[in-house]
Amino acid sequence: MTQIYPLGRGMRCTCGLARRWGGAAALVGALFLCAVMNAQQTDRARQIGKRLMCVCGCNQVLTECNHVGCTYSHSMLKELDDRVAQGSTDDLVVQSFVQEYGTTVELVPPATGFNRWMWIMPVLLPLAGLWLAQRAIVKWRKRGADASEVAMPAELMERARRESRVDGDA
Amino acid sequence: MDIFGSFALLLALAVTAYAAVAGTAGILTRKPLLTRSARNAGMAIFPLVTLAVIALEYLFFTNNFSMAYVAEHSNRDLPYFYKFAALWSGQEGSLLFWSWLLSIYSFLALWVNRRKHPELMPYVGVTLACVQSFFLILNNWVASPFNVIAAAAAPGGVMHLVARADGTGLNPLLQYWEMVIHPPLLYLGYTGFSVPFAFGMAALLGRYPGEKWIHITRRWTMIAWGFLGCGVLLGAHWAYSVLGWGGYWGWDPVENAALLPWITGTAFLHSVMMQEKRGMMRVWNIWLIFVTFLLSILGTMLTRSGVVSSVHAFAQSSIGSWFVGFLIISTVFCALAYWRNRDYLRSDNRLDAMVSRESSFLFNNLVLLAACFAVLWGTLFPVLSEWATGEKISVGAPFFNRVNVPIALFLLFLTGVGPLLAWRRTSLDSLRRNFTWPVVGGVIAAVVAFVFGFRDFYSAMCLFLGVFVTLTIASEFYRGARVISDKSHGNIFSAAVQLTRRNTRRYGGYIVHFGMVLIFIGVAGQPFNKDAQKDMPPGSQMAIGPYTLVCQNFDSVEKGNYQADRATIEVLRNGRSEMILYPERRFYPASQVTGTIVAIRSTPLRDLYVVFAGRSPETGQPVIHAYLNPLVKFIWFGGIIVALGTLLGLMPNSQAAPAERAVTAGALLPREAQGA
Repeated sequence: MTQIYPLGRGMRCTCGLARRWGGAAALVGALFLCAVMNAQQTDRARQIGKRLMCVCGCNQVLTECNHVGCTYSHSMLKELDDRVAQGSTDDLVVQSFVQEYGTTVELVPPATGFNRWMWIMPVLLPLAGLWLAQRAIVKWRKRGADASEVAMPAELMERARRESRVDGDA
Repeated sequence: MDIFGSFALLLALAVTAYAAVAGTAGILTRKPLLTRSARNAGMAIFPLVTLAVIALEYLFFTNNFSMAYVAEHSNRDLPYFYKFAALWSGQEGSLLFWSWLLSIYSFLALWVNRRKHPELMPYVGVTLACVQSFFLILNNWVASPFNVIAAAAAPGGVMHLVARADGTGLNPLLQYWEMVIHPPLLYLGYTGFSVPFAFGMAALLGRYPGEKWIHITRRWTMIAWGFLGCGVLLGAHWAYSVLGWGGYWGWDPVENAALLPWITGTAFLHSVMMQEKRGMMRVWNIWLIFVTFLLSILGTMLTRSGVVSSVHAFAQSSIGSWFVGFLIISTVFCALAYWRNRDYLRSDNRLDAMVSRESSFLFNNLVLLAACFAVLWGTLFPVLSEWATGEKISVGAPFFNRVNVPIALFLLFLTGVGPLLAWRRTSLDSLRRNFTWPVVGGVIAAVVAFVFGFRDFYSAMCLFLGVFVTLTIASEFYRGARVISDKSHGNIFSAAVQLTRRNTRRYGGYIVHFGMVLIFIGVAGQPFNKDAQKDMPPGSQMAIGPYTLVCQNFDSVEKGNYQADRATIEVLRNGRSEMILYPERRFYPASQVTGTIVAIRSTPLRDLYVVFAGRSPETGQPVIHAYLNPLVKFIWFGGIIVALGTLLGLMPNSQAAPAERAVTAGALLPREAQGA
């Protein structure tokens, strides 16, 4: 019993120090977390803002709009910060803007319904073009197949090209 | 003066109608007198429209605020420089400007060729007169710049014009030196495509054999293409310097509208070489020039009608339906002309191999058209979607970037590959020889960039392709110059100059390609943009990248027709003062509008871009928004190179086209080699 006391005191002392340090660390951690959370919120707001368009008619991304005489972007950005601070998900924030300002507020509409065609056509048409080009190539190659042309050996073609290199047009 | 201007426009329309009718009658009856008379009438349009333009400028310079157009786009304090530019600042004036530029082009085309190409010129005159008459109809009745505000009866029954004491002033966004040059360049591009269009139509309607129309219009097309390209780039630079949102290209519908004919014009300039060299792609070329012209009209319509929402769409007006009507009529006429004369457009030659310059041109055209379609589709999709679903949507930059970036990179790849492929057929050995070092160079550049933090897939790819293309161009110059220097025993640089002067078209084209590479590299810096915004009372600091901005002072200055709030920002780097920037926020009392003037510290590596964004509503403190945009200078420098390359391509060769050399080289070879 007698031997425990000093050890216990020592121990108590160490535990108090640890608690104090722990408390300080927790406080710093909490402050850091707050700072990080704030930073995350700002970043999130910026990221979400890049999915939205300013509705003043300037056709610019919300976070980039400083259109002369714009009466919308400042209040919209404030709304965005508030909604992000409330903890809504990205999609919910965007949806709330869509409900308030209409579908034009979304920078790119969701690929649903008719709007799917917006993404399909830029792929479909070049493919159709490729198919047409392939047909044209086949036709062009077929055209001369039975013509009485002498096939040019590759080396000869190379030589012709080399010797007339400085003169040919691009 | 307003009556004088109106009368000049009315007379111009009458003369244009005569040129079209007499020209058509001359073609049908084959009477040279009628044809000559129509040509002279076609040339007379230019002085008449010029008189109308002078009349409008006179009204601007004399502050005649009884005229609606003058009162809406000028004021007494407006500097003379901008009073001149006010001509094209609104709908009515810019349509008059369109007419005027077209009349200049028509005059030059008819004058330069007055003793040449008698089989083509009557058709050219009629086509140009028809286009001109559409715009003159708009100038006379739909959007006349000579309308008065109102007329009132004074005592005694005499009518007096009602005049405002002062005008509203020019849109502040337009009060910037580039805005005086940018619209004329764009319009010179738009209107310029009318000339190759007219020649293409003439060749088709006249069933004129051969590639003559291509030879005649090559320079006209390059001029229009060059003007349009410079106009687009100058517009981007203006947006960067004035709008203050930190970027230069926002995929705005009106920006896109200017890009569309430029893209098809680029495709045309490449594909005509197929027709010239190999007699191929005749149908394609005719349609390309038709489409380019129609897109120029569409571009004007999008700018002027307000059919799509844009910061540039200056007016919501009924003029759109006139343009739609003209577009429909023109398209139907083009289709009919093609259908009736399509048998004449058969290709002469066949494609010998897939790996050849012909196929690279084919792919180049396909890729350019894909890019054009993607831009057009994204631009018009909101209108289509509203029509189909009744719901209005926006299509912004993410769509255009996602679709166009891969296309543009593939195009850059073809820019490097195409010139090194031989006409008709390219051997594997030649491929290996020509491409090994450019590919190695490109890979090394991409790896080095990756190591130094350039870690974005598309940017790294762009850098790889940029270096690849640059090396292929350099190797082309080097090999050609070496042949000359070996023969003349001169140094390689003078040989390169000699080489370029001998074939300005080819080597001018390579210089244009190099300029495009620089533009691509400039755009590749975009993913690494940074920005920061802060309330900055005097004495406060903000860090961005390697710079620290210290706010020194805020003051107000009053100049001419605006008052400016100006921030004085000291830029420090590593603790050392580098320079002072003065971003401004201007207020124009006449129009009660504010505008920004951005302060830019530009270096080849990065731009420090500082905007005075106004005062915070919460704190009342001035807000400074700073951006760090890497490599932007490459874009402007690339634009200058493109312009210089285009100019070079327009110059005649210093020696006669070296056909005789080709013949010498090919004397030992079969006939096909000589044609290659």
